[in-house]
Amino acid sequence: MSIEQAESSQMLAAAAAEPAMPPPARSLIRQAYHDTLASVLARIGLAWLFMLAFFAVFAPFLADSHPYVMKVNGRWSSPALIHLTPADVLLLIATATVVVLAIWRRLSFLRSLGLIAAVVVVAAAPVYLLVRPPVNVDYSQYRDDLASGKIQKAIFAPVPYSPRDRLRDQPEARLEKPSRRHWLGTDTNGADVFSLLLHASRIALSIGFIATSISVVIGVLVGAVMGYYVGTVDLLGMRAIEIFEAIPQLFLLITITALIQDRNIYVMMAVIGATSWTGYARFLRAEFFTIRKLDYVQAAVAAGLPTRIILFRHMLANALTPILVSTTFGVASAILYESILSFLGIGLVDEASWGAMLQQARAGGAGFVLWIAIPPGAAIFLTVFAYNLVGEALRDALDPKLRKRD
Amino acid sequence: MRSIPSFAKEIETRMAQKQPLLEIKNLSVGFDTNRGLIRPVREVSLSVYPGQTVALVGESGCGKSVTALSILRLIPQPPGRVLGGQINFEGRGNLLDLSEKEMRSVRGKDIAMIFQEPMTSLNPVYTIGDQIVEAVTLHQGVSTRKAYEIAEESLNDVGISDPHRRLREYPHQMSGGMRQRVMIAMALSCKPKLLIADEPTTALDVTIQAQILELLRKLQRERGMSILLITHDLGVVAENADVVGVMYASRVVEFATVEDLFDHPQHPYTEGLFKSVPKLGSRAERLETIPGMVPNPMRFPAGCKFHPRCHRTRACAVAVESGQAIFPAGTNIPKEIAAATDSEGQRFSVLKKCATDEPTLREVKPQHWSACHVTENFEQSPASVPQLDHRREVVPMIVDEGTITV
Amino acid sequence: MLPTLLGVTVVVFFVMAFSPGGVGASLLNAEGGLRPEERRMMQAYYTARYGLDKPRIVQYLNWLNHVSPVGLKAKGEGFPNAWPVGFKAPDLGEAFSTHRKVSSMIAEALPITLLLELLSLPLVYSISIWTGIRGARSRGKFADVSLGFVLIGLYSLPSIWVGVLMIGFLSNVKYLHWFPTNGLHDLMSDSMTFLPTTMHGHFERGWLLDTAWHLCLPVICLSYNSFAFLSRLQRGALLESLNQDYVRTARAKGLSERVVIYRHAFRNSLMPMITVAASILPGLIGGSVVIESIFGIHGMGKLTVDAVFSRDREVLMAVTLIASLLQLFGNLISDLTYAVADPRVSYVD
Repeated sequence: MSIEQAESSQMLAAAAAEPAMPPPARSLIRQAYHDTLASVLARIGLAWLFMLAFFAVFAPFLADSHPYVMKVNGRWSSPALIHLTPADVLLLIATATVVVLAIWRRLSFLRSLGLIAAVVVVAAAPVYLLVRPPVNVDYSQYRDDLASGKIQKAIFAPVPYSPRDRLRDQPEARLEKPSRRHWLGTDTNGADVFSLLLHASRIALSIGFIATSISVVIGVLVGAVMGYYVGTVDLLGMRAIEIFEAIPQLFLLITITALIQDRNIYVMMAVIGATSWTGYARFLRAEFFTIRKLDYVQAAVAAGLPTRIILFRHMLANALTPILVSTTFGVASAILYESILSFLGIGLVDEASWGAMLQQARAGGAGFVLWIAIPPGAAIFLTVFAYNLVGEALRDALDPKLRKRD
Repeated sequence: MRSIPSFAKEIETRMAQKQPLLEIKNLSVGFDTNRGLIRPVREVSLSVYPGQTVALVGESGCGKSVTALSILRLIPQPPGRVLGGQINFEGRGNLLDLSEKEMRSVRGKDIAMIFQEPMTSLNPVYTIGDQIVEAVTLHQGVSTRKAYEIAEESLNDVGISDPHRRLREYPHQMSGGMRQRVMIAMALSCKPKLLIADEPTTALDVTIQAQILELLRKLQRERGMSILLITHDLGVVAENADVVGVMYASRVVEFATVEDLFDHPQHPYTEGLFKSVPKLGSRAERLETIPGMVPNPMRFPAGCKFHPRCHRTRACAVAVESGQAIFPAGTNIPKEIAAATDSEGQRFSVLKKCATDEPTLREVKPQHWSACHVTENFEQSPASVPQLDHRREVVPMIVDEGTITV
Repeated sequence: MLPTLLGVTVVVFFVMAFSPGGVGASLLNAEGGLRPEERRMMQAYYTARYGLDKPRIVQYLNWLNHVSPVGLKAKGEGFPNAWPVGFKAPDLGEAFSTHRKVSSMIAEALPITLLLELLSLPLVYSISIWTGIRGARSRGKFADVSLGFVLIGLYSLPSIWVGVLMIGFLSNVKYLHWFPTNGLHDLMSDSMTFLPTTMHGHFERGWLLDTAWHLCLPVICLSYNSFAFLSRLQRGALLESLNQDYVRTARAKGLSERVVIYRHAFRNSLMPMITVAASILPGLIGGSVVIESIFGIHGMGKLTVDAVFSRDREVLMAVTLIASLLQLFGNLISDLTYAVADPRVSYVD
């Protein structure tokens, strides 16, 4: 064969074998995450959330009346460490795991989550047994001792006030304006506003995550059961969903929380989680119904695969990311609900919370206290805004109609 | 037979003209996408004479719909734009030069268009009377009452029974065939000179198909209207067209009278199309196909768009490898090819030309245009805008006073 | 609708009945400073009066019977008179703390809350439709993107913060005193004339204008949350309408772009907007809880919050029931409106 012969047959072969399709795109989920991160707004939102998470985890070190270290009678001790609660310690352990995983980067996302959860669960028991902070705390003691000379040297946190430190040694320091000592002033009880702000971020983030997780779990279970065992189960489930949707969520929340005596954070998480699940249940149910009708599912059934496996495997793959969009918005609304309940006075008791701070801004007798009114509200706003931005970016990334057409 | 004296004179004068009603000269349309510029229409030329039915045939994606939409400038301008060429319409000059306002007075009045999907082409929330009247009042400036009368007349013309009642009905109360009739009535209510019908019967049952096409022919005869019929169905072409243009991959590759096209196709694509139509009574075991696939507009082959699938180039290439005669014995071999079979250089020159030079539409036989290098006298044939003032032999039909109800 | 309502009552009672500490607990606390024997007597009195010692399910059924217009009744009341079963006036019970009839408390509070919401609905819809259309028409351009951004921001603003800030800055004597501090009416409103007058030598607001002035801030606070959702819905619906075939037909008829958008596309895009009206209502009812507390308006929200603090079971249950009833009613209205608006939907299901 001469060169021209070879050329011509090559040309023909190439023309005939030409693929009419563009190269395969990334899998939908990866593409969605990539697109989301590409959005500037989403990145700003995520930046704020990371900062907030940092504050939440390290709050006991950033704003604490207990000094890091102090020297009494020649002996060094670390009150800050002594007074760490088990929750603080677990949080620190979890964060350390996250950092290690982020650097190491070998595990997939789901496996990393699993590992973190496992570490927390395993560490929980020993931590709760071993870490026992003293129950009675006298915050003013350090200031008194420092003044009287009992403490020779002490290194304090940047904000040397705990949220529970009501400044009993300085009774006139209620509702003080912002100053060098109290960067954002003090509230009606005398506690430092900035410290309250920092510590409240814990409440916000943790309630947001856990309450939403609870509602996702409930919703997914109910929806899956309804979608799988259609018929009477489905009818009953729809009734339940309708009932829960008929009662405005805030009313239900108020009604439930109002009648519970001990309103600690876990109860609040459970309550908020137990009232927000209907959306996820509907979504899962719809997913199941669609999947059932798909041809390839029926083909798999005809080939002998048990329906259960097909449904769960497919559902996990496809429904996960759209649910993630809803959960992002769900976390935002959980934070809002918690702050509303605290504002109304039926939320957490004796914990720092942005909503409770806002209420103080009103009830401060003078009618309106500027330095208590603006920061917590701004914090709620920015956090909710961040979640909404991320959620919107994620939703836009997933929406097939908005995809750039080839 | 229903006489329409007002039209008669118009028809006479129009048909006596030697100028085409619509002349498309080297029209090129492009779409800006992420991946660059696609050109679904490249240097397309054709003409339509008064009272003539021109069929534009081709597979999906060859650009026929885009050509049709471009005539009325209905292509959305941000992604799409006209890259060159002219669309000359009698009495209006180059339609591409008109302002949007002037174009609006052409749409619906001088040129009307009906579309493929009668089920979704009518607005579901307005009665069909309202929708027809909208067009009438816009272009004819009559009172609403008169407009309803005209609308009722139009419905009658298209064979819808009890038109007075139908005016108040909604589209969803009608079948597909009826809706298409309504579309036709709406399009014809302002007595356009040209009707563009984009696959008007593709979405309908075969029996309804025949009725609709018959209706179109009848209306055309009565009004001396021209029809540009877009279709992919050769049967429809055979029954209804006077003149046919065959499109492939954004170009018109053949243009001839319907009789000439069917009896003596010149372009290998048209030949392939006819060969792949199964014939009653043939004993073939396998259906003939044109090998390969329609090329992706993002990756059109160089040179002639059809050459990778063309049996003529294929024959050349095969012969090169095996040393056989290029065409099977008994084929009508064009002179140049016959002369070139002996020397290797000239065999290759034919193949190379197909792969590098795109053939333009030339009048290779009197009143018959084709775009293929491997045609007798191709180089010497004049390249021109195809113009065929031809109407088929019409068997006079007796139309009775009765109307058809679907 | 009825089974759902029944289910609502079950859920509400469920929560009430199984709350630790019982419903009577704070009642006794409210009396305050009682000696132990007195406390026991009061407790026995309340238990007997409100049937707090009976099993929970019996308490529930009792309450249900009282509330429903059909059920067991005493002879001599309701219709038919002499029968033990029949139609009767629903009795929502008595508030524990104030001993007033719950029905009258709700009758006072409900119209106010409804007023707030009915005022905010048109506001929300008109602004959202306008912004939605703007966004759709300039899709992808700066106006659209920035509008979307602003709307998400609005949606994220917590109403507790906005309310507090509004009162703090706009109603405060220390800053701008543009709006009244709280409540729905001025202190002197009873002696005001209905319409504004200049009778007494100076301009007097009049009851109507005064109420309107008091309503400004609360209505704004209640409405702004829904802008984002509705506006995006309108935008999406309009964009989808514009992609439909009938829009192409309308353009091919030679209609101007304005007519195509407003007469054809927009009309079709209203469908989802109408259906969604029913889902905004619970947001507004819930939102009014906060707004009423902040602005001191004595509507259903304030009633609820007060009932929470006084552990008033009857009031809480009645309020939740009414709220759910409103919600379901809203759903019904929205379905009917949809059937009227869309000719494809027939009245008979």
